Amino acid sequence: MEEATRSIVRDYERSRATSPHPASEERYRRIWRWDKVVWGTHTVDCYPGNCPMRVYVRDGKIVREEQAGNFPVIERGVPDMNPLGCQKGVCWSQTIDAPDRLLYPLRRAGERGEGRWQRVSWDDALTAIADSMLDAIQENGPESIIELLGAEGVPWNMVGLGRLFRMVGALVTDVNAEINDFSPGLYLTFGKFNLCSSLDDAFHSELILIFQANPVYTVMASYHYMVEARYNGTEVVIFAPDCSPSTQLVDYHLPVKTGTDAAWALSMCKVIIDEGIYNATFVKEQTDLPFLARTDTGHFLRESDLKAGGSDEQFYVFDARSKKVVEAPRASLALGDVDPALSGRYDVTLANGTRASVTPVFELLREHLKAYDPESAAKICGVHPDQIRRLARKVATKRTGVWAGGTSLKYFHGDLMVRSLTLLLGLTGNWGRKGTGIGCWSIGMFDGLMLLAQKEQPGPDATREFLAMRDGMIAALRAEDPTRTEEMCRIEMVCRMAGLGGMIPPAFFWYRHCGYRDNWNRKEWGDPTMARPFDDYMREAMEKGWWTDVALPQQDVPPRVLIQAGGNTLRRVRGGQNMLLTHLWPQLNTIVTMDFRMSTTALQSDFVLPVANHYEAPRFHIPSPHMLTLIYSDRATPPAGEAKTEWEIARLLAAKLSERAKARGFSAYQSKRGMAYDLSDLTRRFTLGGTLITEEDASEEMLRDTVICGTIPEGTDLQAMREQGYLRFTDWGISPFAINQASDLKSDETHAHSRWHVEKKLPYPTLTRRAQFYIDHDWFLEAGEALPVHKDNPKMGGDHPFVLTSGHNRWSVHSMNTTNPLLLRTHRGQPHAVINTDDARAHGIADGDEVRVWNDMGEFFVPAKVAPNVMPGQIIVYNGWEPYMFRNWRGPMDIEPGLVKWLHLAGGYGHLRYWALQWQPTPVDRAVRVNIARSDARPA
Amino acid sequence: MTAANNGQQRQLAWVFDLNRCIGCQTCSVACKVLWTQDEGTENMWWCSVNTQPGRGTPRDYEQMGGGYDANGKLVLGRLPTAEEVGAAWNFNFQDVYAAGKGQAEFLHPSGSGPAWGMNWDEDQGAGTYPNAYFFYLPRICNHCTRPSCVEACPNHAMYKRAEDGLVLRDEDRCRGAQDCMRACPYRKIYFNTTRGVSQHCIGCFPRIEKGVAPACARQCSGRAVFVGFMDDADSAVHKFVRQWGVAVPLHPEWNTEPNVFYIPPLSPPRIRPDGSIDESERRIPMSYLESLFGPGVRPALQTLENEIGKRRRGQPSEVMNTLIAYEWKEMFGPFTRDPAEITWK
Repeated sequence: MEEATRSIVRDYERSRATSPHPASEERYRRIWRWDKVVWGTHTVDCYPGNCPMRVYVRDGKIVREEQAGNFPVIERGVPDMNPLGCQKGVCWSQTIDAPDRLLYPLRRAGERGEGRWQRVSWDDALTAIADSMLDAIQENGPESIIELLGAEGVPWNMVGLGRLFRMVGALVTDVNAEINDFSPGLYLTFGKFNLCSSLDDAFHSELILIFQANPVYTVMASYHYMVEARYNGTEVVIFAPDCSPSTQLVDYHLPVKTGTDAAWALSMCKVIIDEGIYNATFVKEQTDLPFLARTDTGHFLRESDLKAGGSDEQFYVFDARSKKVVEAPRASLALGDVDPALSGRYDVTLANGTRASVTPVFELLREHLKAYDPESAAKICGVHPDQIRRLARKVATKRTGVWAGGTSLKYFHGDLMVRSLTLLLGLTGNWGRKGTGIGCWSIGMFDGLMLLAQKEQPGPDATREFLAMRDGMIAALRAEDPTRTEEMCRIEMVCRMAGLGGMIPPAFFWYRHCGYRDNWNRKEWGDPTMARPFDDYMREAMEKGWWTDVALPQQDVPPRVLIQAGGNTLRRVRGGQNMLLTHLWPQLNTIVTMDFRMSTTALQSDFVLPVANHYEAPRFHIPSPHMLTLIYSDRATPPAGEAKTEWEIARLLAAKLSERAKARGFSAYQSKRGMAYDLSDLTRRFTLGGTLITEEDASEEMLRDTVICGTIPEGTDLQAMREQGYLRFTDWGISPFAINQASDLKSDETHAHSRWHVEKKLPYPTLTRRAQFYIDHDWFLEAGEALPVHKDNPKMGGDHPFVLTSGHNRWSVHSMNTTNPLLLRTHRGQPHAVINTDDARAHGIADGDEVRVWNDMGEFFVPAKVAPNVMPGQIIVYNGWEPYMFRNWRGPMDIEPGLVKWLHLAGGYGHLRYWALQWQPTPVDRAVRVNIARSDARPA
Repeated sequence: MTAANNGQQRQLAWVFDLNRCIGCQTCSVACKVLWTQDEGTENMWWCSVNTQPGRGTPRDYEQMGGGYDANGKLVLGRLPTAEEVGAAWNFNFQDVYAAGKGQAEFLHPSGSGPAWGMNWDEDQGAGTYPNAYFFYLPRICNHCTRPSCVEACPNHAMYKRAEDGLVLRDEDRCRGAQDCMRACPYRKIYFNTTRGVSQHCIGCFPRIEKGVAPACARQCSGRAVFVGFMDDADSAVHKFVRQWGVAVPLHPEWNTEPNVFYIPPLSPPRIRPDGSIDESERRIPMSYLESLFGPGVRPALQTLENEIGKRRRGQPSEVMNTLIAYEWKEMFGPFTRDPAEITWK
């Protein structure tokens, strides 16, 4: 305690003794008392989350929680991260015994979704589930069992259920497609989508551009850095169609038409190139813009063009110094004596003796950008030409960071928007320095967690053995190609292992088994520049083997058992109930939801298994480079009712599978992919020989392994975490996601990603080994997307006059807080659709009226909230509401067709290949076309 | 600083920075979870955040009267109706989950639909697209220097503490007359029908007494709330209010001399019909801000603009440094203690 505080406390002790109102005051003093305090957080997929809290317990009951607020200052002159936490987090304690809390295993007693339940024992529930899983395995192979990897409940989902399902051969879907949080635009450019700088790094920016984001809703706990930067002289500019809350707290709001951000970004690129204010050194060294492309085919000039048997991955520049076409270095970005030309046309002699004309991509770009003069761009996007010019000049001269919101991941052409913004940063040298760059989200550093999902033997020696084997593989990959960086070797390793039983990209599941094939082929909903039916692209992708081993389940394997743990697929999957209940549900023999609360998916399940809530079990939050901390959440009280932890559920299910398999004389089998499984010894294998029985055991193992991997201090164990709650990582460790950050991790500085590329000249993990703006894949050339371009939103859902947009809501992390009674009282207690005042008047809609919203997919009903802050023609229904909060349990998610962009099936091209969380098609939901009317105006 | 109680009246003050307030209600929720969990307190929000322009909570409270008139005479206004305050709605959870009704039943507040709540007109604001505007106004008890509620109480249950100026109520003397509620022009007092007493924000005095900042301040996600003794010339609150004039009270014309102040919102400039930007005019009309915060808001905004200008030009600004609060604890004067360190005897 500081001296001033001590002195105040002493004074108060004295004055309290003489208070004329002792009894009345004492009543309140007692309310604030507690008898136990433990560390806690919410290990949900709240990103970046990681808010350290203290959980206060009185008389054996959790009474409340409060942010810990003891983060140290990391970098002098940069505000600290305190207090971290939001309204959801500071009343999580209210969910412990809330009306939606699940306390006992339930078995469906009526029709699915009818709301009739029979309370059953854990043993009965697990016996029935195990039997159904065994039936599925025997009849259709283990690929007919699917766990939808929900975003919640990590990490125990991954190390518990994930570990079990891997041992059984069941499929686990890639969470990044499930939640649509993959950034194809960043991936195309950098060969990794998961760049992120630490939250506090924004304070170093001189200019911050926010687009496709409403951070006031989405990153409450760190929004203060925007304001602090602003107070420090940073100019904060937001592009948004609506006057969202975030647009009110910045220096400039530039209204932009929905889904047109590529236009202003490309126009700024044009201004910068035309005015010659681009950073030529950065462009030549860090990007593929100096690379030569053939003017006849549009492809890069490759060694295979010049020499028979030449490489497809060796590219060229024209050296202005030697006046020669020379190889672009692959092992480093450093150019040495070479000065690549950014303009001009050159002739080369091809391997077959003919001549071809080549030109730097920069020259193609200059030509391409002619369509984007500020006046023309303004017509597309609505941003005034003066603002485009003014801002372009600022970006070129100021330390600029871009805040790309999650909405950019959820537009059909979001990849083009992100590529365009990234191009703007590339032209101006705006990444790889503090306060610059563009990012998304990432995991990493908690290596013990990933190890535990895979380990077969307990203890540090087994870990060291595992690491030695891994080092051997990395060395072999480097020997294969000595120009590979450590980052590239790690990616190569996980790519090659992707087919061995990790996550699968769920696009193929949706396409084959959930009815999405029709939606994705529907021409009038799709993009007019898609030259062929979606099926053609799918067929080509399959024939060329671009998704071999991960395109699962196979067409002839019907899904039979669905496990939803820590997720709410009927809320989350675009098209939701209209697609899944119609196409998937009838095929399923058994649907199991594990959750701490009653979700819509739980209501439509056959079994509902109660899981420990936060504060009821030892857990870790998934760490992120945004935070760089490992955060522990302790067990403040035992799980309520008969709820169990995920680890225990997985362990009991493992035992039950062995027991029931033995009873039917069946244990060993092969998957359709030819991998061998054996259920006879599952418990021993799952618990690593009986050493990991409880979460505490598993936690100790994960911490010890993480220490061995070098990312947390020596001696960190569960007791240490219980005492200190969280700690800062000291290094990146063995994960590819961590090394993707490509910067040294320093204890006393903010983290800015990509510094190794810029400072150490380490190449990028892309086909061209540069930040790649030119994608000469045949499909991209066919679509006119080799360079980033603006394309209009397709008419998803049909030709209707309004665009339905959404966004992360303010009142819930995902759907799990939408039913917290306390939070329900902080708004209108129901979902709502925000409708522009003039539109509402034209449609005879008053504030609070129920409206019908419909398109070709279906309809839903929702109360209107009328406000001038949405763009005319736009309707906003924020995401996250439980479907059962809408009439008929149908909400906006149910009329989103869930389209994926056909180009994201592309492969056979350098970095365009699947690895966990990375390159894969993900459904979009923004700017779906709808119509509205007052619900009582519905035609009979 | 020392001596809370050597005879002089001390005064705690809050400064809410409206450029940092993101309307998330973390302050409201933190307060609710801590103080109003008992039966009879369900509909109370001692701390609440409203979108402005808006009707506020209770609905249209600004028209209900109270405070002191220009001659210093106590004004008793009217009590808000239950509907204007907004009830703590209950929901039909069990009907949805386990009544066998399937999709025919969806979750909603029970009974006839609610007509108002503590944050009913969230994010609606005013203006015309694309110049729609709004900001958030967190409100707690103002712990006024001239508390009309204290004067109005017929039972002498209310008092202003010497050691910190907090306005409290002796609930053993309160007889539920509710005159305090009619006298408080801010309508930040609620009536507990179960216990028959009025209740309001207690300034988190049990925390204050232990050196811990109030929940609304310490738990604010946006780092928007400064707390300190107004009589401490080194405190941030003193500097903002007395030294730099960048923080202003809400409705000073009600003459109760509030001790909660606001850094006014710097909204973005207006957009002209052709899409160009009119740097001369901010989105929130000055006349509206003056109607809330009085004439002091104009120079306050001017000072903020000037000081940001200094930072843009690379010049130092103590005002901005204090607003930035590089170390979070700097926001709370002497109330920097981590509550988890307290052990109760």
